[in-house]
Amino acid sequence: MSLLSIRNLHASIGDKEILKGVNLEINEGEVHSIMGPNGNGKSTLAAVIVGNSKFTVTQGEVIFKGKNVLEMPVEERAAEGLFLGFQYPVEIPGVSISTFMRTAVNEQRKYRGLDPLSGSEFMKLMEEKKQIVELTANLASRSVNEGFSGGEKKKNEIFQMAMLDPKMAILDETDSGLDIDALRIVANGVNKLRRPDNATIVITHYQRLLDYIVPDFVHILYDGRIVKTGDKNLALELEEKGYAWIKEELENSNK
Amino acid sequence: MTTTDLILSHCDTATVQLPQSMASVQKEAADFLDANKFAFAKNEVWRNVDFSDFMNDELLVPQQNAPTPQTKFTCGIPNLDTTQLTIRNGFYQTDGEPLQKLGNGVVIGSLRTAIAQCPDLVAKVFGTTTPVNNSFLAANTAMFTDGVFIYIPDNANVAKPLQILGVADHEKSIFLQTRNLVYVGKNSSLTLIHCDDSYNHNRCFSNTVTEIVIDEYARLDHYKMQNLNDNSGLINQTFVRMRQNATLLSNGISFNGGNIRNHNEIRMDGEHCDVQVHGLYLMDKEQRIDNYVFVEHSHPNCNSYELFKGIMDDNAHGSFNGHVLVCDGASKTNAQQSNKNILLTDKATINSKPFLEIYNDDVKCSHGSSIGQLDEQALFYLMQRGIRPHTARTLLMFAFCDEVLKSVGIAPLQQQLREMVQRRLQGELSSCDNCVMSCPTDNCHFTIDVSAI
Repeated sequence: MSLLSIRNLHASIGDKEILKGVNLEINEGEVHSIMGPNGNGKSTLAAVIVGNSKFTVTQGEVIFKGKNVLEMPVEERAAEGLFLGFQYPVEIPGVSISTFMRTAVNEQRKYRGLDPLSGSEFMKLMEEKKQIVELTANLASRSVNEGFSGGEKKKNEIFQMAMLDPKMAILDETDSGLDIDALRIVANGVNKLRRPDNATIVITHYQRLLDYIVPDFVHILYDGRIVKTGDKNLALELEEKGYAWIKEELENSNK
Repeated sequence: MTTTDLILSHCDTATVQLPQSMASVQKEAADFLDANKFAFAKNEVWRNVDFSDFMNDELLVPQQNAPTPQTKFTCGIPNLDTTQLTIRNGFYQTDGEPLQKLGNGVVIGSLRTAIAQCPDLVAKVFGTTTPVNNSFLAANTAMFTDGVFIYIPDNANVAKPLQILGVADHEKSIFLQTRNLVYVGKNSSLTLIHCDDSYNHNRCFSNTVTEIVIDEYARLDHYKMQNLNDNSGLINQTFVRMRQNATLLSNGISFNGGNIRNHNEIRMDGEHCDVQVHGLYLMDKEQRIDNYVFVEHSHPNCNSYELFKGIMDDNAHGSFNGHVLVCDGASKTNAQQSNKNILLTDKATINSKPFLEIYNDDVKCSHGSSIGQLDEQALFYLMQRGIRPHTARTLLMFAFCDEVLKSVGIAPLQQQLREMVQRRLQGELSSCDNCVMSCPTDNCHFTIDVSAI
């Protein structure tokens, strides 16, 4: 059984249909990359999987660990192990990263029937996970994302991923706004968190990120559907030729 | 007899007889009441305020000190040692001397006793901080029963904070008028914590006036905490007069109360004064809160900074009315005003009116106001990390309050206030642990690591 199984997923915002029948199977241990032109539904797919109520699911299903997550509230999906690395992480003045993470870790533990971590256990965990993305010591005491640079925000997303240890992480354009060094740090972080029993979806525009995070599958999401699936070489092909040929191929097959 | 009738018919017979030097102030107050009564409809300063249900009610004015109860009232702040001054049902209460004259020249205790024993010191403050400009002030001036008197001489640093504890625990519905006077001498500094607590659920209407003089180069840190029952009404007027180079930090937190009016008037009589007035209010049910701040800049080179933040739930109603007056001579004034509100329901309301009145063109002034809801994007972000909606909302509300709480300069007090805010936001009736309203802290699903914020 797949870890995540998306079948004929349709979703709209207002009257506008954005996802028009997405099918995707992801197994434990796999890294999938989703690519595609702007405005074709990549971020919407990520948002719908984790339960953003801005979008309405009109058809289809999303099965995660055998459970229909479309019936679960956002926080339960998260506690089940779905994590979204935000394209635009939200600034929350007045809430420190450590308060935020301690609350999140302990709420997830509670959901799973575990005792909350004590202060010292939590600090130890945080120190350990900070290494993964080379977070500077003082960042944890700052308010969540407030005044962070683009690179710090994305590092902070991966740090949170490390803290929460999700079964399935979806990284939405984690490479946007990163310089080369930050990109390497973020990608290394993701690689360090990769295990045979978890999986990752990497949404990106650029092949560059995939030099660091090598995907098992590359999908092209176009006009609300996954229109092509290949291995990492598909990303190289896209880098070289752009998306025009995909469009042509589609039009030809429709004739 | 209604409270209104009681005041208007008795205002010319003072409860506390003042010596000749101060009696004229009482006469002026009685005349003011005679002329103005309690007509506020056209008064911009009092327009939002409505205490009519208290003014039309028949309330008892306690006439003397009730016998000392077996239990001593405390409003403890863990890890903070304070000198406590208790006002119970309108009268100063102590086991010892009603007025203490300490070795370093500090005088603290009952105002009633101070008027008898050291009228010259009382006269340095009484009636000097404000003209009689409103009927509640006039009523208090004419008819106050007692209050706290604090006199800090020049060059004294009072290390231990003084704590005024206003207690209401009368078996009947009561009307109280207490008056507190505070003098901080030249180069001196004082931390004053003022708690107003209900110890039962009976109706209590309190018309309190506090007059404060901060002399040259002196500093006052004034913390006010209000935790009253839902049947209570509190008009809390504070008048401050500052001499040159004086500093005031005022921080008022309204946790609970049926109807609260915090009325602050601050006048700077010299250059280089520094004023910070902060307020936080957390209201729900049918509660009302009105915050009024008047700051008069009459001399050059003074700073004033106002920050008021509030969260309104259910049908709560509130107003912020801030007035900064920059007079012709007050060049190089730096004045800022900010009021931010979160409305949690469609029925909660707030009227926000920041107001600058400027007669000098060499000044830097700003004002701002915002009214909104909790940030949906931030809520989603928190919930995507597994935090349940109730906890996420509490966390965001707590974060909203943080800006005010972090300005509390005493660490143990800041800690206590954070915990009280946290409990209040979790929907518990907040209160100090010794008061009858206190509820056990359970079903607390997150602990805010306050050291890390």
